[in-house]
Amino acid sequence: MAVVAAAAGWLLRLRAAGAEGHWRRLPGAGLARGFLHPAATVEDAAQRRQVAHFTFQPDPEPREYGQTQKMNLFQSVTSALDNSLAKDPTAVIFGEDVAFGGVFRCTVGLRDKYGKDRVFNTPLCEQGIVGFGIGIAVTGATAIAEIQFADYIFPAFDQIVNEAAKYRYRSGDLFNCGSLTIRSPWGCVGHGALYHSQSPEAFFAHCPGIKVVIPRSPFQAKGLLLSCIEDKNPCIFFEPKILYRAAAEEVPIEPYNIPLSQAEVIQEGSDVTLVAWGTQVHVIREVASMAKEKLGVSCEVIDLRTIIPWDVDTICKSVIKTGRLLISHEAPLTGGFASEISSTVQKLCRIEDYPFYKRGKQTKKSKLLGQAQWLTPVIPALWEAEEECFLNLEAPISRVCGYDTPFPHIFEPFYIPDKWKCYDALRKMINY
Amino acid sequence: MAVAIAAARVWRLNRGLSQAALLLLRQPGARGLARSHPPRQQQQFSSLDDKPQFPGASAEFIDKLEFIQPNVISGIPIYRVMDRQGQIINPSEDPHLPKEKVLKLYKSMTLLNTMDRILYESQRQGRISFYMTNYGEEGTHVGSAAALDNTDLVFGQYREAAVGAAYAAKRANANRVVICYFGEGAASEGDAHAGFNFAATLECPIIFFCRNNGYAISTPTSEQYRGDGIAARGPGYGIMSIRVDGNDVFAVYNATKEARRRAVAENQPFLIEAMTYRIGHHSTSDDSSAYRSVDEVNYWDKQDHPISRLRHYLLSQGWWDEEQEKAWRKQSRRKVMEAFEQAERKPKPNPNLLFSDVYQEMPAQLRKQQESLARHLQTYGEHYPLDHFDK
Repeated sequence: MAVVAAAAGWLLRLRAAGAEGHWRRLPGAGLARGFLHPAATVEDAAQRRQVAHFTFQPDPEPREYGQTQKMNLFQSVTSALDNSLAKDPTAVIFGEDVAFGGVFRCTVGLRDKYGKDRVFNTPLCEQGIVGFGIGIAVTGATAIAEIQFADYIFPAFDQIVNEAAKYRYRSGDLFNCGSLTIRSPWGCVGHGALYHSQSPEAFFAHCPGIKVVIPRSPFQAKGLLLSCIEDKNPCIFFEPKILYRAAAEEVPIEPYNIPLSQAEVIQEGSDVTLVAWGTQVHVIREVASMAKEKLGVSCEVIDLRTIIPWDVDTICKSVIKTGRLLISHEAPLTGGFASEISSTVQKLCRIEDYPFYKRGKQTKKSKLLGQAQWLTPVIPALWEAEEECFLNLEAPISRVCGYDTPFPHIFEPFYIPDKWKCYDALRKMINY
Repeated sequence: MAVAIAAARVWRLNRGLSQAALLLLRQPGARGLARSHPPRQQQQFSSLDDKPQFPGASAEFIDKLEFIQPNVISGIPIYRVMDRQGQIINPSEDPHLPKEKVLKLYKSMTLLNTMDRILYESQRQGRISFYMTNYGEEGTHVGSAAALDNTDLVFGQYREAAVGAAYAAKRANANRVVICYFGEGAASEGDAHAGFNFAATLECPIIFFCRNNGYAISTPTSEQYRGDGIAARGPGYGIMSIRVDGNDVFAVYNATKEARRRAVAENQPFLIEAMTYRIGHHSTSDDSSAYRSVDEVNYWDKQDHPISRLRHYLLSQGWWDEEQEKAWRKQSRRKVMEAFEQAERKPKPNPNLLFSDVYQEMPAQLRKQQESLARHLQTYGEHYPLDHFDK
């Protein structure tokens, strides 16, 4: 009996220690070794528990869109969807498990509010979900399709690339599926492993005819999602799932739009341009602080926001100013979208003979304090010319990305392009 | 109802399973309401009954181990109205179409046939790059199209998109049906499976029209499927299904007409498998003598052709004769030739349009590429066939 009581007491302690598992294996021989015991201290446990690789930094409260409410990312998505269904009677939302509210709670309450013919489950079939959505959009109604994880979007790849993206082009604008939007949770989440962590934007970047958009925050998400829904082209909206709960800020209750194909300079700087999208924006923001503090380097931080068609001008203007570019994304290095940015920027910012425009050059060895000089009156039309270049890149463009492996499970902390890897790459660029 | 009973018998199902089959093939209520959700969700829970409670199926228990044998020896029967000589078999199935309508059917099929001949030839002459003929299948196209309204939506392939369009039409109370055509080969694609399942679960007013013509390029049906064709798949998805003689334009018409009426009235999908034969090659890039005998092709051309059968019907009604046939052949040839020559004379659109309609608006980067091509042509234009394109 005593043994049973002791065992029961021990089990209760196990439960009390919490579902997270403040466990520590006790060294020791025999049977004891097989048992897990509660951790000795909370700090001990915290060190072993995985800490997020980023810190979400909310933007200042937006004032120009009316009353705001604190929302996390999934709530801001719900708000956008709510606004859409309210003002567009043709709009419908569908996908796996959206009826009860969705596995990430993005569609909570919408079925009750708008009816089961407007918010409904589909069978488990991604090609069906997207193909069906295309058909709705072809009739002119607004189709908002959910793919439960971006990792599962591949069965729908043919529908997206061969049907949705080409619908307008192949019919000479007689038909289109512009009112189709596909939403999907995206990116690493700490424990997602191979099939719940992927960032497939690069596959779609190669496909003319669609738009691909990735927000970094709840405020951005609502405005960008509303723009996607209203955009007259089929759009894919990837939602960084790690931010669904972790990111919360003041978001306007009323609808508002954030323009597509416009990158945002969220922090101005003069020495190096940092470009990222989604969760990674918060990583490079932190890297910018580290660079300022430890190296005295001034970073310009840019959130790309739309992957295609992407805002070449903003990136190039920034790189002309700074002379250095670092791009970072979770997706694997080879063929990742950083390669497209890198290739375009180096072409537009190559060494050339251009007598009318020069930048006040800093030599490689000079200290990088203060502002780099540059001449601003750039005639807009010249931006259009291919042959132009203005700039001598001070260092090769740096890409800090995931490795060329499937997204690993237990090795995630080593896989992701965290702030230390970005910082190290930045340091090497500065010292080039 | 006769079809339902025949189908159940044909399948040799036992009592419990045939009840389920009849459930699927049942006629709707008099008010023609949308099909109710399957009753399995509403079973009463009673510990006294030994009935299955599984949410996944509405069925009885059985204590005998028995696999259902797929019946491909005597499959789903083929509905027809006319025999091979164009005579009505069962007068109650005669659609009694007025003369003008039947003549329109005939002229549509023969005009299509004429166009096919001329365009096939023109490809051989190098005047067009590629063509696919409809030889032998004219009845499926024309018979089904004749049964639709002018506002109905037609999808050639795009099975899933057709379902989405049907759903939107239902929501809009548009009184439209969507029809989606595909072959027995395309029915093997996942797209067909997705389309069927979504149409059934989301209760869409759509007609899935499968042209089973015996070949997918060179692949015969024996290598395309092992079940009883495409019609037998429908009930698996909960879809009302029928198999028809695709070379009998009245059978195709009747089936499509009734399917359209009920699809719209009851918001449910219908599957029509039209059996036919591809008399021509798959395309101008194909020579089918490499994989089938000339005798086989000749049989269908001579003994069971949709145009011949309808012509016999017309002749027996006294609505057509040799004179009119000769005159119409000449007239249809001339129509096609005139249209073809007119199209041939037109220059092709300006190469600038290569870049239009990728998006609704042209993105900046694409405009740069457009300008790049324009500049390139300024220097190297002599190496491009610019003469055939609009300036």
